[in-house]
Amino acid sequence: MQLPFPLLQKQAVTRRHFFGQTGLGFGAIALQSLLGRDTQAATGNYQIPAKAKSVIYLHMAGSPSQLELFEDKPALTKFHGQECPQEYLEGKRFAFIKGTPKMLGPQFKYGKHGDTGQTLSELLPGLASISDDVCVIRSMHTEQFNHSPAQLLLQTGNSRLGFPSMGAWVNYGLGSENENLPGFVVLASGGKTPSAGKSLWGSGFLPTVYQGIQCRTDGGDPILYLSNPSGMNRDARRKTLDAIRDLNTFEHQHIGDPETLTRISQYELAFRMQMSVPEVMDIGKEPEHILDLYGAQPGHVSESENAADPRILYKGDDPTFANNCLLARRLVENGVRFVQLYDWGWDHHGSSPGESVDETLPIKCQQIDRAVAGLIKDLKQRGMLDETLVVWGGEFGRTPMMQNNVHKELKKGFIGRDHHPHAFTMWMAGGGIKPGSYGSTDDIGYYIGENPMSIRDLQATILHQIGIDPHRFSFAYEGLNQRLIGPTEEGRVVTEILS
Amino acid sequence: MNNVFDRICIAVLLTGAATRAATAEQPVDFNRDIRPLLAKNCFACHGPDEGSRKAELRLDSFVGATSDLGGRRALVIGKPDENELILRIESDDPNVVMPPPDSGHQLSDSEKQLLRQWIESGGEYNVHWSFTRPEKAALPAVKQTDWPKHAIDHFVLARLEASSLKPSAAADRYRLIRRVSLDLTGLPPTPEEADAFAADTSDDAFAKVVDRLLASEAYGERWARMWLDLARYADTKGYEKDRHRDIWQFRDWVINALNQDMPYDQFTTEQLAGDLLPAPSTEQIVATAFHRNTMTNDEGGTDNEEFRVAAVKDRVDTTLQVWMGLTMGCARCHSHKYDPISQQDYYSFYAFFNQTEDADRPDDAPSLPLPTPAQTEQIAELEAAIRKLQEQQKAAPDESLDEMIKSEQKKLAGVRSSVSAIPVMRELAETKRRETRLHVRGNFLDPGDVVEPGVPALFRSLSVEAPANRLGVAQWITQPDNPLTARVMVNRVWARLFGLGLVETEEDFGTQGMLPSHPDLLDWLAIDFQEHGWSLKKLIRTIVLSSTYQQSAVVTKERLSIDPRNQLLSRGPRFRLSAENVRDQALAVSGLLTHQVGGPSVMPPQPDGIWKSTYNALKWEDATGPNRYRRALYTYWKRTSPYPAMITFDAGSGEVCQIRRVRTNTPLQALVTLNDPAFVEAAGALSRRMQQSGSDIVNQIQRGFRLVLTRPPGDDETQRLIDLYHVLNRDFKNDSEAADNLLNAAQLKEGDAALVAVANVLLNLDETLMKP
Repeated sequence: MQLPFPLLQKQAVTRRHFFGQTGLGFGAIALQSLLGRDTQAATGNYQIPAKAKSVIYLHMAGSPSQLELFEDKPALTKFHGQECPQEYLEGKRFAFIKGTPKMLGPQFKYGKHGDTGQTLSELLPGLASISDDVCVIRSMHTEQFNHSPAQLLLQTGNSRLGFPSMGAWVNYGLGSENENLPGFVVLASGGKTPSAGKSLWGSGFLPTVYQGIQCRTDGGDPILYLSNPSGMNRDARRKTLDAIRDLNTFEHQHIGDPETLTRISQYELAFRMQMSVPEVMDIGKEPEHILDLYGAQPGHVSESENAADPRILYKGDDPTFANNCLLARRLVENGVRFVQLYDWGWDHHGSSPGESVDETLPIKCQQIDRAVAGLIKDLKQRGMLDETLVVWGGEFGRTPMMQNNVHKELKKGFIGRDHHPHAFTMWMAGGGIKPGSYGSTDDIGYYIGENPMSIRDLQATILHQIGIDPHRFSFAYEGLNQRLIGPTEEGRVVTEILS
Repeated sequence: MNNVFDRICIAVLLTGAATRAATAEQPVDFNRDIRPLLAKNCFACHGPDEGSRKAELRLDSFVGATSDLGGRRALVIGKPDENELILRIESDDPNVVMPPPDSGHQLSDSEKQLLRQWIESGGEYNVHWSFTRPEKAALPAVKQTDWPKHAIDHFVLARLEASSLKPSAAADRYRLIRRVSLDLTGLPPTPEEADAFAADTSDDAFAKVVDRLLASEAYGERWARMWLDLARYADTKGYEKDRHRDIWQFRDWVINALNQDMPYDQFTTEQLAGDLLPAPSTEQIVATAFHRNTMTNDEGGTDNEEFRVAAVKDRVDTTLQVWMGLTMGCARCHSHKYDPISQQDYYSFYAFFNQTEDADRPDDAPSLPLPTPAQTEQIAELEAAIRKLQEQQKAAPDESLDEMIKSEQKKLAGVRSSVSAIPVMRELAETKRRETRLHVRGNFLDPGDVVEPGVPALFRSLSVEAPANRLGVAQWITQPDNPLTARVMVNRVWARLFGLGLVETEEDFGTQGMLPSHPDLLDWLAIDFQEHGWSLKKLIRTIVLSSTYQQSAVVTKERLSIDPRNQLLSRGPRFRLSAENVRDQALAVSGLLTHQVGGPSVMPPQPDGIWKSTYNALKWEDATGPNRYRRALYTYWKRTSPYPAMITFDAGSGEVCQIRRVRTNTPLQALVTLNDPAFVEAAGALSRRMQQSGSDIVNQIQRGFRLVLTRPPGDDETQRLIDLYHVLNRDFKNDSEAADNLLNAAQLKEGDAALVAVANVLLNLDETLMKP
């Protein structure tokens, strides 16, 4: 049974006294210190044996086209250029498609790869090289067809704002394993924040300590205000902190409030983070062959956010995502529970060459493909893949029809697809996931063929792999036992893809 | 031993009764002991929601629980051993036992015992406590008769005495004036104000301080912030594009209304339905922007109706949460599983709000233009000039006049387009009114039956003859026999002052919420609030003048073990300052604070690269001059990327109504107050003020200490700071480049780097960050 939050708070008051006085080391008690006074990790019977210790979630914000990357559809190629049959349009809502659009066949070549004969596009040679390590799920579907609500549904279980993100839930449920680092770290690339903004890693109604901490990799402090002011070196900072500690100790002797002791420990933790965070964030320490494996470039600062031509941001050699993948490995290696990467720039409507399937998608693939393959290979060679769940995907799929609001006919640089919630592809690797394929779509990739997997199923499966029973794991709020997988029982752990 | 104690403790907390349990002297009480148990463990399947009800059994009503279900009854009064309910909960068979093992719920032995006792004693069902009208109870008798100054104290003391705790001594005057100043105005007192209070021996010395603080403009700024959290106020529209929205005039309306002590019923009515009042004033229409703080989605390709509906639902949820402490969110999709609120109720209430013109349009229409006095004058002048020219034109047509008129009209259009317009509520014309239908499973694309506007059935016995529109809603909320409105508001004010509400779950007064720790006190305050004209200032004055509020916050081991969270109020309130207070205090004590009430939101410095929203060209440009040092509530608030230093201190994003903030204590907060350039700059300015007290370092340090903490430092404290100063001063003498860099970071052209570091320490003390 999950204890009510007020009781948890009450326990926190006593538990935090253990910190510093016991030899328990990292884990739940260290978490008390990291997470602070009014909160602590939940306890209860929702914990189950874990397959994975951490999650690296790679979210391609904007949603890549499954039809160019994973779904070889000869029938769609056959109908290419023909008007879309009315049966696919009636009663449907689209973001941009108007009237009767034309069918659009896959724009790139496919091949079979690895022992499993995985079908993958020529745009993903890196993924092909690790195809025997991943499980490609071609039967994902969602309820939302606009970016912001769809991203929120995927990451928080609700298309409205105000709900905790998956990483916050996991952080709340399991806590961090490193007392010097946050339990949930977010890294963004592609030059912009994803559509739904910071709510995607917010804590919703959970205490704010569980929210994701966005670590910046663009030259500034990796965590805001981590650096001392200029002129205040580490020695001077230590001296000021000693004085703060001593005065706070006087205060505690006089007032007796345990909160003061917590404050002392939080200031000490802040001091340790000033060392540990830049250390873990410094990919410059990695040997050349590892940097090369990912295509990472330490010290790279991405282009400014408002570049006139979006393709400037999309240059294939931008290593920001690669750097973030390498960082993700370093973070989970150091006990961070949930690392979330957002890569912006996958919304290829074809309204301009800078957001088209034919011109932009290859560049975006170039930016991520080697890095993703490098990440899997690196985790594997370190023996970490088994205990690290890697998830890759967008928030929905893209239509088998060409988007027609700018040009009615196919035109170079203007080939694009609209948002498609009914079928899309994601893949998972490591963390107890069985390599192979799951699910399929119909001949043109419009609807699920067999083994549909919903957003709820995905969330349930991720929680399950990390050692949380998704059905029992809840938090009392607004008169309900709120859960990541929502109030109904429709979400299920997809055991078919578990090893 | 410990285990047994823990289990009892958990059981008691689970029932929501903080420290009471049924005993021989105190019989089982349905509302206190039983309903929370049933609600938590049973109602999900055996509650008000027909859709999820199992075995046709409902346990939320007496009739349901005692009805014959094929020869079996869940409840047989007085005969626990013939009860299906008892058989089930006491069973060892996993196929029989209730709640089922896979439900995640489980009853403890003491909970089972409570249920048995309840049935033995008659199995009575009472109406949930908060759904009945508050009554003013007689003041309870107390032993320590010299302590209570006020009715509040009688209730508190009676409870303390029952728990064998004594109240704490009164706080010392320095801590008390700092506490009350921060509480009432969000700003600390000056050392001079504190000394005057410490020296004032008159009986009403404290009352005079309180009245001065209540009369200051800073009062409205401080308490407006509480309301703005509820109003989900922000300077942008939210969602993907999150574009700018002019709505700061609503924030100023709240500040002014609070400073004028507008009665809470009027405050309520103007915000919910100011536009429907007879001949509404501009201010009354501005007030309706309360419900235009909902988000607008400008993302390409989105369905405006979908997001209009989302905004209306937000208004429904927010209205009931803010004013009545009811959670309606779940009734969007199905009848409430715990409270007697059906899906029909939800959409009937929704119907009141479904008749406004706004429709998720990019221009946020309808809006109200609010020219500044200068703009009003300019417009009047231009209009007059145009009229004059037109008259001349009529009298003697001339081409050059034509040109002049055109040019003036162009100017007029220019001025008009620069006028700020804020989104407001406006009712649709009679002919355009929408038909409201229930949304099946909450999906607006799946309309069900037509519903008529109405308040939830639970409250229909209320004596109201109100129009079937938002004005009627406001009247229903503020009429004297509404059981919740006054309770919810006094509880909210109490929570801001004591850190914890009398009902801890400020957001939920329903059956899932916690029970009041002092029910009679809550009711007494609620009635007193109404009897005194719904005056918030009077309410706050009443509370802070009590002995309860003025207690010292010193925690003894005994108090900590019996009352760890101070729910019994055996000591003064002590908790971390809000995000806004932390900033405002640093600005105030360093002398940087700009005293200016109201106006457009400002952009104090924040790190580069924080604002990186998709498709939004809005830029953060660090303010220079006075706007750099405004109070936190004037900081520009972008929903998808709120001001980072304040988020770290638990401020909300403003996306949805936030009833209370849960306080945290994290290392990231330490990094803000240690290293955020705004706080380093404040340390610099504070060091200058310290220097102004003379050349003696002891004086300088004592002055700084008093500016920040009000009270004089102890000798040990002074000495520790002096030691720090000397050590750092030596280091900086050896490294003048570091000294120059620190002065530079603190925005000082010249100064004493070691003193800047000492000031930085003062701004980071636990006591500084806490209400004393």
